[in-house]
Amino acid sequence: MWIERKALAQEIPAVAGLDTRQLCELLASLGFPVDGVTAHEGTEVLDVDITPNRGDAMSHRGLAREIAAKLQQPLMPFAAPAIQEGAPVVDVRLESPACPVYSTAVLDLGPGATPLEVQTFLLALESTPKRLPAVDASNELLHRYGHPTHAFDAERIRGAVTVRWAKTGETLVALDGVSRTLVAQDLVIADESGPIALAGVMGGDGTKVTEATRRVLLESAWFDPKTVRATARRHSLHTDASHRFGRGADPAMASVARDLLVQRLQTWCGAKLSSAWTVGAVPSTGGPVVLTNALLTRVAGEPLPLPEAAEALRRLGCAVDVIAEGLRVLPPSWRHDLAIPDDLAEEVLRLRGYEHIPSGFPPLEGPPEPLSPSYLQRQRLSRRLAHLGFHQTVTYGFISPEEDEAYAGADNPQAGRTLANPLSREYSVMRASLLPGLMEALNRSASRGAKETRLFEIAPVFRTTPERPKEDWCLAIVWEGETGGEDPFTEGKNLLERGRFYLTGILESLGLGPDQARECVQHRYSWGKDGSGTEVGVRVWCAEVRLKSFPGIPTRIIPAFTPFSRYPEVTRDLSLLVPAGQSHADLRSAMVAALPGETIRDLRCVDVYPRPDDSKAKRTPVGQQAWLMRMRFQAMDRTLVGEEVDGWVAAALAAAESLGARLRA
Amino acid sequence: MDHLLPVEIVEAGQAFPEMLAACADLDALLRLKGVYVGREGSHAARLMDLLKAAPKEQKRDLGAAINGLKQQWEEGLKACQTRLETAKKDQIALAFTWDPSLPPPVPAEGALHPLNRLMDRLVEVFRPLGFHVEEGPEVETEAHNFDGLNIPEDHSARASSDTFYLAAHPELLLRTHTSPVQVRTLLRVAPELTTRGGIRFLAPGRVYRKDEIDPTHSPMFHQVEGMLVGHGIGMQHLKGTLEYALRALFGPHTEIRLRPSYFPFVEPGCEVDVSCPLCAARGCRVCKGSGWVEILGAGLIHPNVLTYAGIDPAKWSGWAFGMGVERMAMMLSQTPDLRLFYENDQRFLKAMGGLD
Repeated sequence: MWIERKALAQEIPAVAGLDTRQLCELLASLGFPVDGVTAHEGTEVLDVDITPNRGDAMSHRGLAREIAAKLQQPLMPFAAPAIQEGAPVVDVRLESPACPVYSTAVLDLGPGATPLEVQTFLLALESTPKRLPAVDASNELLHRYGHPTHAFDAERIRGAVTVRWAKTGETLVALDGVSRTLVAQDLVIADESGPIALAGVMGGDGTKVTEATRRVLLESAWFDPKTVRATARRHSLHTDASHRFGRGADPAMASVARDLLVQRLQTWCGAKLSSAWTVGAVPSTGGPVVLTNALLTRVAGEPLPLPEAAEALRRLGCAVDVIAEGLRVLPPSWRHDLAIPDDLAEEVLRLRGYEHIPSGFPPLEGPPEPLSPSYLQRQRLSRRLAHLGFHQTVTYGFISPEEDEAYAGADNPQAGRTLANPLSREYSVMRASLLPGLMEALNRSASRGAKETRLFEIAPVFRTTPERPKEDWCLAIVWEGETGGEDPFTEGKNLLERGRFYLTGILESLGLGPDQARECVQHRYSWGKDGSGTEVGVRVWCAEVRLKSFPGIPTRIIPAFTPFSRYPEVTRDLSLLVPAGQSHADLRSAMVAALPGETIRDLRCVDVYPRPDDSKAKRTPVGQQAWLMRMRFQAMDRTLVGEEVDGWVAAALAAAESLGARLRA
Repeated sequence: MDHLLPVEIVEAGQAFPEMLAACADLDALLRLKGVYVGREGSHAARLMDLLKAAPKEQKRDLGAAINGLKQQWEEGLKACQTRLETAKKDQIALAFTWDPSLPPPVPAEGALHPLNRLMDRLVEVFRPLGFHVEEGPEVETEAHNFDGLNIPEDHSARASSDTFYLAAHPELLLRTHTSPVQVRTLLRVAPELTTRGGIRFLAPGRVYRKDEIDPTHSPMFHQVEGMLVGHGIGMQHLKGTLEYALRALFGPHTEIRLRPSYFPFVEPGCEVDVSCPLCAARGCRVCKGSGWVEILGAGLIHPNVLTYAGIDPAKWSGWAFGMGVERMAMMLSQTPDLRLFYENDQRFLKAMGGLD
């Protein structure tokens, strides 16, 4: 909200003695931070941030009230002229509780214009003066005192004026020239021909004041905040008036603002008052609120003298009685936000200054809780992956239906995960997989020339169920490019073929079983243009695993002791020629099955010749590969002797031969 | 005795040490050896011929002179040969040696995401005070996201222009803050609050708001929520805890400032500023010259929030705070564009995230 410094000083002269920085800090300390200060029309204008609970502060007078209470300096006396009310000259009826009070007046306008200083004031607040006294005066009052008013062209009103709920389907062309169809929850001002204004939001075009207007009907009412907010939102019509009524205007200001408006029109253009009158009555505010000493002490963090607290609340306009338990407080008509004792405690602290709040630690009343296993698991996995050379990413939870389609399972329909109001189609489905986001990040890194890209993300993915989308924490990894080759000791390896094994190894080291790890690894293609502009796909190795699949964090800090062998290990290698297409897993299990379980520690292929991705290697017999199978034996109770190991190796060879392998010459 | 020798041999004798020193390798040395002491045509061979032809009375003296010269040459050549052979061996050995200053193979190094690191750090800071981590789903109910937090039914945040709703479930939305974790946690612990002695936790996580993507806005971002419920909790406990936490984050000389503000779920509410960590409050671009940076919103839990969860606000009280992780990360790192955090360029991640 714009606040013009000179106008503020007219309400609270003490402000004139502050420099801009002091004024800004003062306002901030009261809960009204200043977002910026600009020079408009040769005067300084502050952009003050008003929180939505403080409709009463949305004017120069409103902020001046706050400053006066804080500085304990007097406000300028309120120059409200007492206009003698008389008999109604137009029939005004209030038919809805959403408008309990309606002060009005009818005047005949004379010649005259909006004073220059008022025009300058409005311009400084980025409000265009219309040079129509009835309109400009209403605007000026709104900014200066915070109470929205309206002037109708009285000669264009037909018959009685009614404040009532709109009839569904009624239309109104408002001041912005837009025709709106109303609903039964819209409060309107209507004459016998239909709605002439949206109550508290905007006047109608048909009854607006123009240069031709000779006679005006003024409106200074109070409208229910909820009703005004709903109408403003429903019709996307947010106005200075709807902001103020929507946050709660001061009902006691209805007749006062009317009087101020009448007075301005009399002074500016010699208007003649036909009559001024009020329909309805100012609604009674809520009852008193009791702020106990105990609550105040608890919130403040120290005992505060009750008289000081009472005095602070009185400065804010409250009526305060000191009673046995504390203070009985009746908030002023403009403070709708002071409803519970805690609100009052806040006001006492606010005026005293938050800088005076003491500082201490809350006592521990019970044992602290450990971090949850699921949280710890994610922490450990992400640290481990980072140490294994992967980069953690953060991608959006929503993706396009097309991207999702390519990764979601058939049992996870998109409809249950789709947003009703996405930013755009690109971000409309809660993802079933983390891989699309990672692939996009990988593409970006790769297109920017990364030689090797290793990314991972740990985040929830979404699964459609009849009740609601369920969220499962997942880990996804993508890996592409050429690894190593950056020092004389590590050979550079293209991941096209080997990536599968590298990634499987990573998953195993994170705790997945070998079969599980192998099944998780898949490849996708990252599409991009090569140097000649041809679309080329690069193979990307990826894996996505539910975190539930990883072993949990063991509950024992150190596992139970298991005996280990203190005798030497014996290693034997068998170089086998195996038929192409041989499964290592099958060969391995067949060989292990032939060996005594209590002594075979490990059996695996440690070398393959020729390497499938080595084009220079000399060929083995067509249709065969040479595998070097290494066996490690160890007994718990003795040193193994050569003869028994020889027997086992022979048995393992026999098992391999039964699958078509033979000893390499 | 030199007068008995031919002039050119005397000169050759004088030149020998220099010739020897000029031998850079064994081949050169071999050639020199041939010239001086070779079997045929060398200086030594000529001297032997000279000795044979010399008159008898000169033979003794001449022989001594010749032997002296030959011995000198042979010793010189031998010493040089030893030196050159050692040097050659050393050279060969060196070719089979790794230079110790060659770059070593460094294990692959990845990085944690900077936003995760910052959230982890916050958890680390609050752990010693007995806070644990609570979490909740990203798809939330309107009840948890708004109703339980004293947010009025007609609050603008509920509008479809601000909040993402699910098409198939009109009552479900993407949580707009981590505060629904407060509601869930309070509802869960309400029956056992006395036996457990209140509760204190952090709730880090991802949240969604309907903002267009630009350098300072994102439809998804991260928050860390903190909450404490106990007996007799007041503003001093909020201030003391935040003072500790923000000093742990930004340095021991950090000052904090509470300013009155409004959030529906707290009363009193406040914004919390820290003395600018980048300029030590001297005034810079980040704090716009003020020396203060707004860092989080906080307050005492509104009685309606406790009541909603079934906790008696006459017996229990507490505080809560919420902070934007991206905002803090951008402030601390001076990252110019929010989108960099979600773009995940590997170089950015490596440089900004790093490892613990």
